Amino acid sequence: MKAAVVLRQVPDVVEDLVIAGDGRSLSEEDVMYITNELDEHALEQALLLKARHSGTVTAIGLGGDAARDALATSVAKGADEAVFVPVDFAARGDNVVLSSHLASALREGGYDVILAGVHAADQLDAGLGGLLAARLGVPYVGGLTGVQLDAGGRTAVVHKEYPGGRLGVLEVDLPAVLGIQSAEQPPRYVPVSKVLQAKRALQVKEVRGPLPQVAGVTVRKLLKPESATHAKMLQGDEDAVATQIVALVKERGLL
Amino acid sequence: MLAETKTMEIDGEKGVDATKAFLGRLLLLPGGERIAECIQCGMCSGSCPVGYAMDINPRKMIAKLRAGRVDDLYRSNSIWLCVSCYNCTYRCPNNIPITDRLIASLREELLAGGVGVPPELQAAFEKTARYGNPFGESPKKRDAWTKEAGVDVPVLEAGESADVLWWVGCFGSYNKRNRKDTIALARLLDVLGVDFGILGTDEWCSGDLRCTSQGEEGLFDALYRHNTAQLGKRKYKELLVGDPHAFNALSKEYRRLGTPLKVKHYTQFLAERASEVRKLMKQPMKAKVTYHDACCLGRRNGEYDAPRTVLETIPGIRLVEMPRNRENALCCGGGGGANWLDSFIWERTRMPLPIQRVQEAAKTGADVLAVSCPLEIPRFEDAIKTSGLEGRLRVREVSDMAAEAMGLSGVRVA
Repeated sequence: MKAAVVLRQVPDVVEDLVIAGDGRSLSEEDVMYITNELDEHALEQALLLKARHSGTVTAIGLGGDAARDALATSVAKGADEAVFVPVDFAARGDNVVLSSHLASALREGGYDVILAGVHAADQLDAGLGGLLAARLGVPYVGGLTGVQLDAGGRTAVVHKEYPGGRLGVLEVDLPAVLGIQSAEQPPRYVPVSKVLQAKRALQVKEVRGPLPQVAGVTVRKLLKPESATHAKMLQGDEDAVATQIVALVKERGLL
Repeated sequence: MLAETKTMEIDGEKGVDATKAFLGRLLLLPGGERIAECIQCGMCSGSCPVGYAMDINPRKMIAKLRAGRVDDLYRSNSIWLCVSCYNCTYRCPNNIPITDRLIASLREELLAGGVGVPPELQAAFEKTARYGNPFGESPKKRDAWTKEAGVDVPVLEAGESADVLWWVGCFGSYNKRNRKDTIALARLLDVLGVDFGILGTDEWCSGDLRCTSQGEEGLFDALYRHNTAQLGKRKYKELLVGDPHAFNALSKEYRRLGTPLKVKHYTQFLAERASEVRKLMKQPMKAKVTYHDACCLGRRNGEYDAPRTVLETIPGIRLVEMPRNRENALCCGGGGGANWLDSFIWERTRMPLPIQRVQEAAKTGADVLAVSCPLEIPRFEDAIKTSGLEGRLRVREVSDMAAEAMGLSGVRVA
């Protein structure tokens, strides 16, 4: 089995997002990147497949330099190969461009399965997996919570989540792109010392080249969420607060 | 210690190599060689507050190692039940560092061997590695609390100096339930005229992870390197610490790794100035108070008197002791990563330590349970609610009580 996992770097929302001066992009210097959470699940699922069927897992880091850290962590966890696909800041959230760019890098790899998180926090429109499958001309199935490969490696049986707690069991021809909703077990822990070790010894294959020019979606304006209403805190001692509550109830005709 | 003394007899056959390899690493650690001197008296396991729930208690752990069966330990949940209360270490007649060396090494092995870690603690590790605090809060907001302090809290930039560098800690900086106590200490330092400063966003978790035996050695080293580099860029006479776990890490483990620091817990700092503190007291506090000894300050570092000295400066309070006090104090159950293992431990013990402890406090008739460790505020507050003691018993940090008696409490604008 030959598996590839896409580890896309997305803005970490633990830090406040700052809109750049142009009003249509994030301020690059204020963005801290983190691996898309569902891509971490995709990696875990790939490592589980490797443990079951043997074979190799190639981690593909997509984004800025932060992707190198993600690659080191994935190698420490058990990935066999690390590929870095640098992406200009402006295009990092655009799955149309990313899928087109990635397809050419993945086509020669001869992967049986390509796993990616089913969605990401910063994606403009459709998930990366489906677009990637279309570019590669292979099947796509997403929203998955489990993957089993058949012995011959020709098909995969996948568990797909539907709304309302329903579960579908589907068979998909390989090669295919799989959109992972959650791995069969939570992403494993790897101690910091092992990550540092992997970082020191990391061999990264870098895919250089300009991003493709493709028709797609353009951001016109970014806005911070605005709260429409605010809670009003009543001030004063118990009597004062009680009087205000009575006045409010009367005023709003709630009695 | 001579190399030839670092051996331990192994009886068994199966798993001997793995056991030998484990012991080889353990015996090289400071104090690790003492494990060979275990007399199997069982004092450790008898005094362990969760020993009854362990399938392999500390005495049996050492027996398993002698039998060449380290694998049995890796399969046991006991390793993650330890709350780092140091009862075993304190009582061991042969001074075997069970908590810091045996348990820590076993946890390290589990992590390195890919056996894994209970998920709540895993999240705390990952967040600490990424954000420098176990809560996953923004590193940029570490000093956000200073805006509410009502007094000037200078952030020392690289190259600057102050008499006292105050290590605020993760709980003190971020946890909303500790914020008023952090602010109280800022106001105490201000009113005492102390020339102090904080590291601000350059402070990361002290890494008490390792010293309280969570076993993430690589993470501890990364934090140690960052923090010592930052400390080295400032000039100060002493390091003031609010959290006993940080106190232990900075004073003991950083020293062991080559960075000796002059560290004081804030209760020691205030106790040294007791006469000055007493003169600043403005209003009596009518309260019956019992003090809970934090494990990392008490058993671990032998400081029992300073917090009591500070409490005694407050006019009007009556200090009473719980039957288990000082070196016999019952742990709050939050050390050694256990703060992130509450549900894991609860599933296996059903007798949360903080609940036992607040019940002991209530039995003294005290209305205030005074503490000197930030973890105890949320832990005991929750325990008071779940044991129906709300309205009868309050948990309060010593700093907050002293500040109130000095008339320094309440909202203030700088």
